[in-house]
Amino acid sequence: MDVIITISLLAILVLYLGLFKAAKALLPVTLVGLLVALGLTFNHWDLANNTKSIFSGMLLFNNFSVAFSALAIISTFLILMLSKDYFERISANVAEYYTIILFALTGIIIIASYHNLSMLFIGIEIMSVSLYILTGIKKRDYASNEAALKYFLMGAFSTGFLLFGITLLYGASGSFDLTEIRNYVASSEEISPIFYAGILLSIIGLCFKAGAAPFHFWTPDVYEGAPTLITAFMSTVVKTAVFAAFLRLFYISLSSVTLQEFWVPVLVVLASLSLLIGNITAVYQQHFKRMLAYSSISHVGYLLFALIALSSASDSAVFLYAAAYTIASIIAFAALMVVQKQVGNDSFDNFNGLGRKNPLLALTLTISMLSLAGIPLTAGFIGKFMMFTGALSTYHTALTVFAVLNAIVGVFYYLRVVVAMYFKDAERNELAVPVYFKIVLVVSTLATIIIGVYPGFIADLI
Amino acid sequence: MNLFYFIAFLSIFFSLLVIFSKNPVYSVLYLIVTFFTLTIHYILLNAQFLAIVNFIVYMGAIMVLFLFVLMLLNLNEDSEPMKSNLIKVAGVVAGMCLLVTLVGSFRALGDSDPLILKNPEIGLVKNLGKVLFDEFLLPFEISSILLLSAMVGAVLLAKKDPKKI
Repeated sequence: MDVIITISLLAILVLYLGLFKAAKALLPVTLVGLLVALGLTFNHWDLANNTKSIFSGMLLFNNFSVAFSALAIISTFLILMLSKDYFERISANVAEYYTIILFALTGIIIIASYHNLSMLFIGIEIMSVSLYILTGIKKRDYASNEAALKYFLMGAFSTGFLLFGITLLYGASGSFDLTEIRNYVASSEEISPIFYAGILLSIIGLCFKAGAAPFHFWTPDVYEGAPTLITAFMSTVVKTAVFAAFLRLFYISLSSVTLQEFWVPVLVVLASLSLLIGNITAVYQQHFKRMLAYSSISHVGYLLFALIALSSASDSAVFLYAAAYTIASIIAFAALMVVQKQVGNDSFDNFNGLGRKNPLLALTLTISMLSLAGIPLTAGFIGKFMMFTGALSTYHTALTVFAVLNAIVGVFYYLRVVVAMYFKDAERNELAVPVYFKIVLVVSTLATIIIGVYPGFIADLI
Repeated sequence: MNLFYFIAFLSIFFSLLVIFSKNPVYSVLYLIVTFFTLTIHYILLNAQFLAIVNFIVYMGAIMVLFLFVLMLLNLNEDSEPMKSNLIKVAGVVAGMCLLVTLVGSFRALGDSDPLILKNPEIGLVKNLGKVLFDEFLLPFEISSILLLSAMVGAVLLAKKDPKKI
C-alpha cells in the first residue's frame, strides 16, 4: 500500500513542479521517487511468504507482487532515463507526461497485487486510461492521433469484455474475492455455466490488453504510431503487468483440475496463434519498430506457456521470461530512439555499417537481439527454457515442438538487424549516444548476460 | 409479477423501436424511454440507488449529450452510406448465431437456483453506503487516481499548444 501511495504522491508532486516551472528538476525528482518506491517495495519482502491480505481482502502484497512491482519500477526507471530531452521535443507540457506515466505505474502496481476483482478492474482502467493519453501526446502527428483513437476504441471494447467476465464470475460465485471464488469452485458440486462464460470473457479481455492473437490487431498500428518511448513502456512494463494479473487470477482462483480442462485448450489455441502470427508477420517487416511490435505478439505466445502449464513454478517462469524480455526490449528501443532521432527513419537499411561507427551501440543491440531470439548465455534463452520445460512437464509436446520451430523463425528476423549492422557497409557518420543512453544500454546488457549465465538468483526468488 | 411482465414488454418494445426507427433523433428518444423502463426494473429489484443513478446519469446526462451530438452532426438518411447486401446477409447470419447461442445457453441454464443475496436490502442507499465505505473503501478511494489521471490527460490533450513542432 505504501508503494501505491508513494508513487501517486510522486505523480502529484511532479505535476506541481511543472506548475512552478521547475523543468530541470522533473526527471531527477521522478527517478529519486522511483528509487524510494523501489526500496519500499523490497521492504515488503517476506521470507516466510505468508503475507495477509489488507483492506478487507482488497490487496495481497506478497512476494509475487514484490517481484513484479520491483520489475515494473526498475523498467520504468530505465525507460525514464531515456526520456531526457525526449518530451521537450514533443511539447512544453513535460511535467504532465511524467505524471501520467507515474499514474500508469500506480495502476500496474495495483494489478500486480490485487486480491479482489474490483481492484483488478480499477487497476487495469488506471493503466489503460493513462496509456490512451500517452499514445496521443504527439498532437500534430497523424500516426499518433490514429494510434490513440484506435487504442482507445479497442481498449474500451476489451475493458467491456473483462468487466462482463468479472460480472459473470461474481454472478456465479457471489464474490469478487479471489479466495472466495476458489472456495466456490472447490465446494460446489456443479459449477454454474455462467462461470465458464465468465472465464472465457475474462480471458478475452486480458488477452486484448496483453496483445495475444487473435486479439492483437491493434498492436502493430498502436506501437508504431505511439512515441517510441511510450511504445517501450507499453510493450515491456504493461505486458508484464497484465501477465502478472493473468497469472494471479488463474493461479489463485481457477486452478482446479475441472476448470483447467476447460480453459487450457483455449489458451493452447491462443498461444499457438500468437506464435504463428507474430513470427510470420515479423519476417516481412522492413522497419525495426514494426518488427518489434510483431515480435512482441510472439513473446506473448511464449508467456502463455506458463499459464498452460500452471503450477507453483509458473510464477518464476513468467517473472524470468518477462524480466529477460523487458530488459532486452529496453535496449532495442533505446537503440531505435538513437537511430530514429538522428537518421529520422527506422528501416533496416539505416542500421547498415553501425558496427564500425558505433561499436558499443551495435554490441549491446546484438546482445539484446540474441536474448530476444533465445540464444544460450543470454537471459532470453533461460526464459524460453523454463517455459518449454513447464510445457513438457504437462505433456504439451506438440505445442513445444511448434514453439521451437517458431523460435527458429524468430532467430532469422532478429539477426537481420545484426547482419545489417556488421556485414553491410554504408557511408555514415557516427551517431551521438548520450550518456544516459550509454548507462541504460550497459546496465541492461550486463543484466541480460548475468541472468543468462547465472539464472539461479532470480529464478528461485519467488 | 404482472407488473414485471408489463415493464419487460415495454422495455423490449421500445428497444425494438430504437432499432427500427429511421430517424436517429427518434432512436435516441426511444432509447431514453428504454432506459426509463430499466429504471423501473431496478426499483422492482429493490435497488434504489442504482435506479436513481440510472435515472440521473444515463437517462439524464448521457442521453441528452448523445442527443445534442446527433443534432449537431445532422445525421440524415441520405448522408448514411448504404450497406451492401453481402454485409446485410453476414449481419443476419451473425445475429441469428448469437440468438441461437443465447437461447441454447438459457435452456441449458434452466431453472438453476439464482444466487440468493445475503442481504436483500443491499440496494438501499444506506446499506450501499455502508458497504462502499467499509469493505470496498480501497477501490472507492483508488478510483480518484483514475479520475485524476483522466482529467490531467483531458486537459493535456485539449489544451492549445503554443509551441509549433
